[in-house]
Amino acid sequence: MQNIFSLTTSPKVSSISHRFSYALISIIAILLIAFTAVVIFYDINRVESVMQKRLDNAILFAENSLALPLWNLDYTVVNDFVEALLLDESIVYLKISWKDQIITEREHPDFHLKNIDSEYSPSLIQDFDLIAKSSDIYFKKNIIGKILIVMSPEEEKKKAIFQIYGTIALLILMIAAIWLTSIFITKRYISIPLQKLQASASLIAHGDLDTFVDKSSSDEIGTLAHHLDDMRGAIKQLFAKLSESKEKLEEYSRTLEHKVEMRTKELARSVEELKALGEVSQAVSSTLDIEKVLTNIVHHAVKLSKTDSGTIYEFDEIDQIFISRINYGMSTDFIHSLSEYVIRVGDQTVVGQAALKRTPNQVPDLRKIPNYPHPSVQKAGYQSLLGLPLLREDRLIGGLIVRRKAPGIFPPSIVDMLQTFAAQSVVAIHNARLFREIEHRGRELQIANQHKSEFLANMSHELRTPLNAILGYSELIIDNIYGEVPDKIGEVLQRVGKNGRHLLSLINDVLDLSKIEAGRLTLSLNDYSMKDIIQTALASVEALAVEKNLALKVIVPGNLERGKGDQQRIAQVLLNLLGNAIKFTEQGWVKIEAGIHNKSFLISVTDTGPGISKEDQGQVFKEFQQADTSNTRKKGGSGLGLSISKKIVEMHGGNIGVDSKIGEGSRFWFRLPVRVEPQKVEKWVS
Amino acid sequence: MGKLILIVEDQEDNRRIIRDLLTSADYEVIEALTGEEGIQYAETYRPELILMDIQLPDLDGYEATRRIKRIPELNSIPIIAVTSYALSGDDAKAFEAGCDAYVSKPFSPRALLKKIQAFF
Repeated sequence: MQNIFSLTTSPKVSSISHRFSYALISIIAILLIAFTAVVIFYDINRVESVMQKRLDNAILFAENSLALPLWNLDYTVVNDFVEALLLDESIVYLKISWKDQIITEREHPDFHLKNIDSEYSPSLIQDFDLIAKSSDIYFKKNIIGKILIVMSPEEEKKKAIFQIYGTIALLILMIAAIWLTSIFITKRYISIPLQKLQASASLIAHGDLDTFVDKSSSDEIGTLAHHLDDMRGAIKQLFAKLSESKEKLEEYSRTLEHKVEMRTKELARSVEELKALGEVSQAVSSTLDIEKVLTNIVHHAVKLSKTDSGTIYEFDEIDQIFISRINYGMSTDFIHSLSEYVIRVGDQTVVGQAALKRTPNQVPDLRKIPNYPHPSVQKAGYQSLLGLPLLREDRLIGGLIVRRKAPGIFPPSIVDMLQTFAAQSVVAIHNARLFREIEHRGRELQIANQHKSEFLANMSHELRTPLNAILGYSELIIDNIYGEVPDKIGEVLQRVGKNGRHLLSLINDVLDLSKIEAGRLTLSLNDYSMKDIIQTALASVEALAVEKNLALKVIVPGNLERGKGDQQRIAQVLLNLLGNAIKFTEQGWVKIEAGIHNKSFLISVTDTGPGISKEDQGQVFKEFQQADTSNTRKKGGSGLGLSISKKIVEMHGGNIGVDSKIGEGSRFWFRLPVRVEPQKVEKWVS
Repeated sequence: MGKLILIVEDQEDNRRIIRDLLTSADYEVIEALTGEEGIQYAETYRPELILMDIQLPDLDGYEATRRIKRIPELNSIPIIAVTSYALSGDDAKAFEAGCDAYVSKPFSPRALLKKIQAFF
């Protein structure tokens, strides 16, 4: 408040009273000096005229008074008269004469004018600064004498000068008096009140708004003081309002800060909760490591509920007891001592009660429950507990408990949050149980499958060995190795051989597939000539085609590039496609085409057979499937050939497919990279 | 006297079929039942051709072939590998081990005879 005004130091002040009295005195002095000069000038002139008049009067007086005595020659009277005249000290010389006879002559000792004749010498008189006048004295119109009077104006002048000095002295006195008076007056009525006002104003300027302002004078200064006081009042009021506003503002700002702080805390908590929940749900959904997930959950539950420790129990349905799965924030001693008490549904523990009531259950102050079933909880310093049941579709699967060392009720927000954690724990435990089951089943299934594949592989090998012998012996007999064979027996043996070879091909297919399934099929990559493969395949099916009276068409460019892949396997695929085409086509032709497109061989086998419906086209490459199951019986074949071909082509990084319409024949094709890179194959196999 | 052919084969029926086939074609036949025996007979009898089964109880046919081919005096004897039906790579392995030809089971006795006759 003090510092609201910016304080400027007042400029150097020259007193108003001084300035005023200087001005006043200057004017008065000038006026008085002028007046005095006029008076002195007038006085000096007046002296001369007065002297002249006095001289004239003395002469006139003498003319009248001396006529008779002179006539009578009464000199005594004349002398008395002279004495009387001489009382005027200005008269410095007097002479009365009669013709050349001096009747009487008087002279001032300072002057030596005796020789002055009746006609005084003007030069002499001028020298002495004197004035003189002479006159004849008449009696009865006769001149009876002459009088001369010389007067000195010195005395008068002296008097005048004295008077002037006096005037000047008076003048100085007057000026001094007026000056002092004016100073006093201006001080008394202007300076001092102004100084007081200034002091007040200065105090106000420095922030003292309760300063007393002297308003006693009734003049303009008084008015000024009134205004100043009004201003002080106004400022004070303004200040009061300002400080009130400021306080309000501060209060508001404080409230706002508080609100913001609260809100920030809330938000931070929410964010923390969300983050924790996010982490937990991610853990629940991404990891099947139940220990890890539950540790994560109980860790966040304890942290966010601002408690000190927590435990997740799993409910053992067989023994009807809770088994602690994860402990957090607990000493090993405490965990050990807790494990000595078995928790059951409906016992007096917080979890037992929560499980019984199927809702969260809390103990805000353990000290009020002296018989709590787990004395070690209070011994470990805990004073409040919150337990939640873990329920999945109303089935109890466990419990969650958090413990706090400070007593107090757990607010609904915390309970709600922990219920979310409980729900996550349920999901985690359930997931883990499911996973355990799936894993177990999967392992069993895998083992069973492995057994099956191995059995099939072994079995087919075992089947083939005797079959090979049968085929070998039949051929030797047919070839008359053991002696001449009658035609009829030879013919039957031909049939034995044919059926044996068919059986062998079926066994081989099963072996192939089981090897593929067991992951034991590997490609042997070598350079090969696609043209050679096609020719070999054609050579082996030619007899069959001729037998069924089918034409074999071949469209293969002469300059077909050499490829890299498993030659035997590729031949197997081609043989399978050609064999199928011939097998299912009753009349017409079978055409094989080869070409290169986009660094891949494109091989197709087209026939004029019955065709395959759209629905069946997707099925033919699946195991044990043929387009028409009735056909299988008629045509034979394991139904594995296309499925094996598909796997072989795919192992090479290619693909296989069929275009067909019922009644319009079929076109089986496969695309095979010209050069197969080993790592690609390995990748596929693994 | 016909040419001497060594058959290395552990299975009796197979041996019998080959033996019957070859003797009827006027070859002379000696039979070994294991890889070791095959090597030993090859050294002792110096056959003019060896039919080597791959699946044998002790040494497999590849190893037996390798050992025979390492013996300078036997190096020039042609060896035909008889592979069991194999998914892949047996032919390559056979050539790698030093075999001069191969037939895969089930073989047609006729085809086998043709292959053998090609070496004489």
